[in-house]
Amino acid sequence: MPLNIDWQQILLHWMNLAILTGGLYFLLYKPVKQFMAKREEHYRQLDQQSAQRLEQAEQVRMQYEARLAGVEEEIHQARTKAQQAAQRSAEEELAQAQEQARQIVAKARAEAEHSKERVLKESQRELRKLAAEATRRLALQADPFDQFLDLAERGDGHEE
Amino acid sequence: MKQSKKGMILWLLVVLTLLAGALWVGSAGRAESVQEAMRDAVLHDLNRISLFGLKEVNPGLISAFLVTAVLLLAAVLLRVLVIPRFRYVPGRLQLVLEEAVGLFDQMAKTSSPHRNGFVGAYIFAAGTFIFVSTLFELLGLQGITVHGGPVTLPAPLSDVNAAIALGTLSYLVILSGGIAANGVKGVGKTLKEFSLPISMSFRLFGALLSGLLVTELVYYYVSLSFVLPVVVGVLFTLLHALIQTYVLTMLVSMYYGEVSEPAEGKKRAKKASPQK
Repeated sequence: MPLNIDWQQILLHWMNLAILTGGLYFLLYKPVKQFMAKREEHYRQLDQQSAQRLEQAEQVRMQYEARLAGVEEEIHQARTKAQQAAQRSAEEELAQAQEQARQIVAKARAEAEHSKERVLKESQRELRKLAAEATRRLALQADPFDQFLDLAERGDGHEE
Repeated sequence: MKQSKKGMILWLLVVLTLLAGALWVGSAGRAESVQEAMRDAVLHDLNRISLFGLKEVNPGLISAFLVTAVLLLAAVLLRVLVIPRFRYVPGRLQLVLEEAVGLFDQMAKTSSPHRNGFVGAYIFAAGTFIFVSTLFELLGLQGITVHGGPVTLPAPLSDVNAAIALGTLSYLVILSGGIAANGVKGVGKTLKEFSLPISMSFRLFGALLSGLLVTELVYYYVSLSFVLPVVVGVLFTLLHALIQTYVLTMLVSMYYGEVSEPAEGKKRAKKASPQK
């Protein structure tokens, strides 16, 4: 053959290359690739886990935000309610105070009226008593007119 | 300071002594002319080696067996000692292994997106073989020819039989991808590229042979044996080891991707392209 081509040696080279290909595949290529795939899978799982955790954290954050918004509304409502209750209580107290004041005034008026009547009655009784006394003295004394005048002067001073 | 000066002087003395010794001893005389050396580097028909007493073979085949043995031994050691201790945060050796596997795997996935499991494994093996076997010639291991003389074991792919074997095997791998993906149509697609095994074989052979011839020529003359081999022997070898590895693996994965592309996908792509 030209160029010293030898089919037997070519076949031997083929055999050599086949052995090498198989050997390197099973001893190096496959295990290294498997390890690389395993590592890739490991990091993919880590990535997925972190993504899931991130999603969960996002959900929790949203839940808390929603709850926070609810709590704010609740606080607003409670504040409104408290304000209303305080206003109502103040109004009630005011009404009570006004009622008490009205009662005190009415009582004071009644007492004042009563004491006025009493004083009036006492005055009238005293006047009657004085009149009776004066009449009695007039009837007993010589100059009843003078005596009456004296008594009247004394009665004025008493009234004052 | 004094110690480093002493060391440098000692080193220079050793180098000069060795040079003087080499020049004084001289060579035993050339066993073959430069024409014979060049012819043997191309054809490997003079200095043949016995394969376990069964057959006389080119030294390139012995080199190929040695490279395979070394690679498999290294693979076994790595499988037993290193791979079980792989960690999620890789060390240096783990990083190198992962880079090597990832490089070919990624190349297969990029060039052949539809079907890349087998081609990835094949280009990993082929790439490793081309790279290591090209660097193998730097070791300058000696073999004994059937005539009893020594011969430096060459890079396996500088033997045309090894280059043809790798080229045709690569073509068969491409063909298998076509059959697996598209059946008879895949065979047709692959056979369209009938020049591929020849071009791949002789590209490898030519690239490796040119390097070998230059190196042979340089080493043939003693006057060229100073400094120049560092550039010619090491840097050129390293460079074309990388280039040939890249070229063959890239070609195989690209053609594999082309023939294993499903026919429907192509039709859709054709339909979609006029709309642009």
